[in-house]
Amino acid sequence: MSQLGFRFLARRTPRKDAEPKVRGLVKYTNDLEYPGMLIGRIVRSPYAFADVKKIDVSEAVRMGAVVITPDDIPQKPFNPRLVSVDEVTFKDTYVLTYKPRYLGEPVAAVAASSEELAQRAAEAIRLEFERVYKPILDPFEAMSPSAPRIHERIMKGDKWIDVENNIAARLDYEEGDVERGFSEADYVLERGFKTGKRYHMQLEPKAVLCVPEPGGKLTIYTTTQSIHNTRILISQLFNIPESRVNVVKVPIGGSFGSSIQTNYLVPIAVALCLKAGKPVKIAYTREEDMLDHSNFVFHFKIKMGARRDGSFTAAEFTNILDVGAHQVQPYPLLGTSLGWFVSMYKWRNLRYRGIAVYTNKVPGCALRGYGAPEVQWAVETMVDEIAEALGIDPIEIRLKNYVGRGDIFWGQGPTVRSVIKSDGVPELLLKGKELINWDKRGRPGEKKGRYRRGIGVARGFHTSGAGGPISGEVIDYTGCILKLNEDGSLDYLTALQDHGGGTLDAHVKIIAEELGVPPDLINLASASTENTPYDVCTHASRGTFVGGECARRAAQILKQKIFETAVRILGRVVNPEALRIGYDEKLGETVVYVEGSDLKITLREITRTAWQRNWGTLVAAVTYRATSAPPSFTVYYVEVEVDTWTGKIRPVRVVAGADVGIPVNPDMVEGQLHGGFAMAWGMAFSEDTKYDPSTGEIMGRMLITDYKIPTAQDVLPPEEFKVLIANTYEPSGPFGAKGLGEAAMNPAVGAILNAVYNAIGVRFYELPVTPDKVVKALRERGETPW
Amino acid sequence: MRVEFILNGRRVAVDVEPSETLLNTLRFKLRVKSVKRGCERGECGSCTILLDGQPVTSCMLLTLQVEGREVTTVEGLEKDDLFRRLVEYFIEEGAIQCGFCTPGILLTAWAGLKQGRFKSVDDVREYVANLCRCTGYVKIINAIYKAATGVAGR
Repeated sequence: MSQLGFRFLARRTPRKDAEPKVRGLVKYTNDLEYPGMLIGRIVRSPYAFADVKKIDVSEAVRMGAVVITPDDIPQKPFNPRLVSVDEVTFKDTYVLTYKPRYLGEPVAAVAASSEELAQRAAEAIRLEFERVYKPILDPFEAMSPSAPRIHERIMKGDKWIDVENNIAARLDYEEGDVERGFSEADYVLERGFKTGKRYHMQLEPKAVLCVPEPGGKLTIYTTTQSIHNTRILISQLFNIPESRVNVVKVPIGGSFGSSIQTNYLVPIAVALCLKAGKPVKIAYTREEDMLDHSNFVFHFKIKMGARRDGSFTAAEFTNILDVGAHQVQPYPLLGTSLGWFVSMYKWRNLRYRGIAVYTNKVPGCALRGYGAPEVQWAVETMVDEIAEALGIDPIEIRLKNYVGRGDIFWGQGPTVRSVIKSDGVPELLLKGKELINWDKRGRPGEKKGRYRRGIGVARGFHTSGAGGPISGEVIDYTGCILKLNEDGSLDYLTALQDHGGGTLDAHVKIIAEELGVPPDLINLASASTENTPYDVCTHASRGTFVGGECARRAAQILKQKIFETAVRILGRVVNPEALRIGYDEKLGETVVYVEGSDLKITLREITRTAWQRNWGTLVAAVTYRATSAPPSFTVYYVEVEVDTWTGKIRPVRVVAGADVGIPVNPDMVEGQLHGGFAMAWGMAFSEDTKYDPSTGEIMGRMLITDYKIPTAQDVLPPEEFKVLIANTYEPSGPFGAKGLGEAAMNPAVGAILNAVYNAIGVRFYELPVTPDKVVKALRERGETPW
Repeated sequence: MRVEFILNGRRVAVDVEPSETLLNTLRFKLRVKSVKRGCERGECGSCTILLDGQPVTSCMLLTLQVEGREVTTVEGLEKDDLFRRLVEYFIEEGAIQCGFCTPGILLTAWAGLKQGRFKSVDDVREYVANLCRCTGYVKIINAIYKAATGVAGR
């Protein structure tokens, strides 16, 4: 990797925010305070589906609280996520509502001088209900013609539409001749899959602080993945020009997709702030956070046809998506689910039916992978089954059929397509195979005893951004400003958010590489919507690939300006093309020089001269749209051990392979893979928010203890986790880099459950695979250990 | 009600409600913001502090309970050699992502190190019960084990 002669890239470097973070100096939204600030609390529906008759606020008002009800809010429906274009955005949500459609939906809100007072005022508000309906929690029940309608009319773009059979959105797609494809198959396999409703469980509960400024302006600090989309939404909802809404970028304590949308507490805080005329902060409790967002539930039906030689002839994919009570843009997820499926293997003939269905659950939103972990688990399970049925090695069948270099990738859905230019799949599959001792893994039937080990493989990918050559249904562009200061140091301004993975540190290293300026001298400037160009959102693993390339282009423009200024100073140099820039070890400075001569000048001198002689500031402002969205391929080999008595499963060894192009920081590549694997482990074995069928309440009182994310005891000891980084270069990425955040997780569940099959010979099609399911499956097969 | 205790080596006196948690007193009255509010139910560990040297979740303590006792947060360990070494390994290993759990984990790790609990990697995995959602714990475990032994676990 370092053979390419990078000075900063592809090296392990400490991140700039490491020191402030370990010392507890980083201020997250809930750490912010403002003089005269009120604390807001939300009054939520205790029923999953009901009509509110009356909201009695008199007691709360008597207590001195500022109170808002639906009557205080402009009653226009919105969608809190603004990533898709407006024509395909379905709007069904109100800031506060008289018709709650999930247990916990905000009905009213209060603000008072202390959290305790606010809580007491919230509890003093009396809700009187006209009617309480039985919650509909199953999407198939919701689609039956006799089911009550959760929504009657919603908006699509700027038009009202009727909702039929609780269907929120649909997407169908067909390619080739599916019937002929299946008739040509020697082997056809059909399976159904169901996932849990996972909760992001980012460590920082969502929070917001809204401050009124002179002149009717608002400053908003919040946990968002997109400051600009939050500004646009608030501007639209409250009819305030964008120039009077400033959303400030605040460090966030993890997100994993849970703030691609503007979280529900933001417009509530804005409404309270507007009514009170004072700053208002709302910070969710953990229970409220779990009522704000969780993933979609996926119900798949998949049919695949293959020839005896292992090549595929056709596939049919039905995707019933349980979206919960409101749409947080599930329509694009119908597209990406198809995109992930299509981009896995060459099916040749394909039919897809995607239906997003309303239920009375917490609204589903993106969670790391946006459907890819689910699709890749299902596909990699079935590909394993087909390989076994046809007597073909699982690695061979994958290499034979996968979509790779030169093929078209359209992970982000039918309207976001580009040609694959970099592909590390063969390298990762073949190297990983050696490292895990694939050939010694044995067969399930041969394994006896209480503890049984198995090895599994799965491969997959994620997109790097949602860009492409043609403008489709997804918005994807970014922007940045790079400014050279009078002493040769730099200020870098971007709206792009860092969830914690170190995206912005990658930008700094990319700028450092382009200009030969050490990262220490590049300031990640405080950014807000009023001082940055638009960026859509940090999602779709686009932070490094899209944002990083934007930063590189800004640095490149600045470099040209530096050269022009240097020519002016140096006099003898014929033109800017004759110059080079780099870090001079001996001088400990960045210098501009002529190759093969001793003519050089430090960057510090150039900027000082430009300042002293009134030549102006060297600055670059760039807005950038990527014209491709290349896949970052990942391969997981996993060894597990199943305790056949208790059904408990533990990881034994992992080989995680990633094709990220040039790794900007190998430490962070590893960090993503470690974290991605842990999240996959939770998805496979424990994570689900279960709903009480009679009340529609999340069971377990929304305790983390019951939700169960992996702890340090559940994951591997460090020495058993091997990371492979493929030797690839992505021509469209900054210095050859691609994304990773989501690819790091996507195929892992498939590999884990293929390993479980290799250990005990049982396949599971419903997640999470809890110990009771394992024991039950073994008993059904006649295995009784005692 | 007035409570006096030692915060990071200095005696503090503060008026609190009987129902007030130490977490809220620290964050809102004493402005110690390194102690994070993650769940308020003793589950996540983001609000970990040291009470007389033992890691505990400050959301599960009433401030009244710490009368006369010693409360330590990361701010109080800035000059401690063992803590500095731990911090260096965290930075060197790349054990930090979003950073929300980090101060709490450092305090738990410091207490375990101080008490000589970490003879093996498994000792670290069992003792550090704070939740982290970003890192998969691998680099955190490595950094702590490195601080315990001077040798990386990998």
